Amino acid sequence: MKRLLLLSLGILSFAIWSCESDTKLNEQAFLDSLNNTTNENAIISDEVLESIFQQIPSPLEISVLLKESGTNYNKAFLNETDKISAYNSNFKKALNLGVYGTDLGYTNIYEQNQDAIFYLNSIRDLSDGLSIGQFFNFGTIKRLATNSRNLDSLLLITTKNFNSINAYLQGQQRANLSVLLLTGGWVEALHILCEVSGKNPNNQELIERIGEQKITLESIMLLLSFYSDSDPNIADLTKRMGELQAQFENIQISQTYAESTLEEVNGIVTITNKSTSSINITHEDVKKIAATTAQIRDYIIN
Amino acid sequence: MKTLISLFGIVSLILMLDIDEARAQCDPAKHTEACIPQLAEGFNFVKSYEINGEGGAKDKIEYSYVFAKGTQYFISICAEGEGTDGIILNLYDSNRKQVGTSYTNGNFNKGIIYPCNATGIYYITFTFEGSKNHCGGSVLGFKR
Repeated sequence: MKRLLLLSLGILSFAIWSCESDTKLNEQAFLDSLNNTTNENAIISDEVLESIFQQIPSPLEISVLLKESGTNYNKAFLNETDKISAYNSNFKKALNLGVYGTDLGYTNIYEQNQDAIFYLNSIRDLSDGLSIGQFFNFGTIKRLATNSRNLDSLLLITTKNFNSINAYLQGQQRANLSVLLLTGGWVEALHILCEVSGKNPNNQELIERIGEQKITLESIMLLLSFYSDSDPNIADLTKRMGELQAQFENIQISQTYAESTLEEVNGIVTITNKSTSSINITHEDVKKIAATTAQIRDYIIN
Repeated sequence: MKTLISLFGIVSLILMLDIDEARAQCDPAKHTEACIPQLAEGFNFVKSYEINGEGGAKDKIEYSYVFAKGTQYFISICAEGEGTDGIILNLYDSNRKQVGTSYTNGNFNKGIIYPCNATGIYYITFTFEGSKNHCGGSVLGFKR
C-alpha cells in the first residue's frame, strides 16, 4: 500500500511537473511575442488591477446612447480599416485593437454589417499580431455579421471575446496591454461622442455624457500610472492623457441621495431610486475636451 | 525514513486531492455562461462576474462599475439549480449607501433592475446566506 501511495505520488508529481513545464513553455512563447511592452516593474496586485478594470464601462453604452438619441451613423467618425500595416509595435497594436473594438461596436449597434466585417478583419489581424487571435472564431462572427437579425448574438460574442482577452492578458501578467486596449477603446468612444455632440450642440444629454467621462478617465489614469515608470511609450501616452484630464478639472459632478423602494416581480427586484446626479459643464469645456481628445486619437491611430 | 517519506506522500496526496476537489466544486464560468440568456429582453450584455466563495472561506465578493444616468441596468444571479443558492446581491452607490438588494421579504431573488438617475461608481457585492456551494455567477446588462 505504501509503495502504491508513493508510486501514485511520484506519478502525480511528474504529471504536475510536466503540465507546469508545458504551461511555462506556452507562457514563454506568448511572452516572447510581446516585444516593446513589459510590465516587470509594475508592483500593483492582480486584485487591485482587476477591480479597476472591472469598473470601466463598455464603449458600447456610448454607441447605444448615440443611436437612441436619434443621431445617424457616420463612418467618417471611425478609424480607417486599412491602417493595420502602420501598427507595427505591440503598443500601437493594443491601442488600436481597442479603437477598432469600439468602432466595431458602433457599426454593430447601427446594423452596418458590411462595415462591421471590415472592422472584424482588422481586429483579426491585430489580435493575431498580439497572439490573442484564438479568442475570435471569425467564421462564426462573420456569419452572424452578414445578417442583421443576428445582431444580439454578434454583440454578445464580440463583447465576450474582448472581456476574455482582457482577462487572459491580465492572467498572463501582461495587463499593460489590457490597459492600452481599454484606453484605445475609451478614447475612440469619447472621440465619437464629441464628434456627434459637435454636430448636435443642443443635445444636453450628449454634453453631460462627455462630462461624466471624468469618472472613467480617473480610473484609466490610475491604470496607466502603474506602468508609466517602466514603459516609455505608456509614459508618453500618460502625459497626453494628463492634458485631457486637465480639461476635465473644472467639471463638477454632484449627487443627491434618496432612499430606494423595491418591487419584487417574478423573482426580479426593480429598484426605484430618486437619487440624482447633476453635472456642471459648459460648451467651452466640451470644445476643449473634443480638441484634446482628437489630438490624442491622432497620436494613437497615426 | 521510509515511514516518514510514506507519511509525507500520504499527506501530500490528501492535500492535492482536497485542492482538486475544492477547485472542482466551484466553476463560476459555467454559471456566468448560463446566466447570459437570463438577461431580460432588450438588455445588452456587458460584464460577467464570478462568484466564488471558496467553500465559505470568503463571505463577500465585490465588484464595481460606472453606472450612467438615463440607463437601466440588469444584474442577474445564477447558481446550481433553479435558485440562487443563498447568494445575495447588494448594490451600493459611490458613497457606499445601499441602493438595493436582491433579498426581499425573505426571498432570494434572481436579479435586480436599476434604472439609474445618478452617474457614478457603484459597488456590486455578493454575500451568502445559508449557501450550500458558495458558488455562482452573475452578469450585467444595460439598456437605454
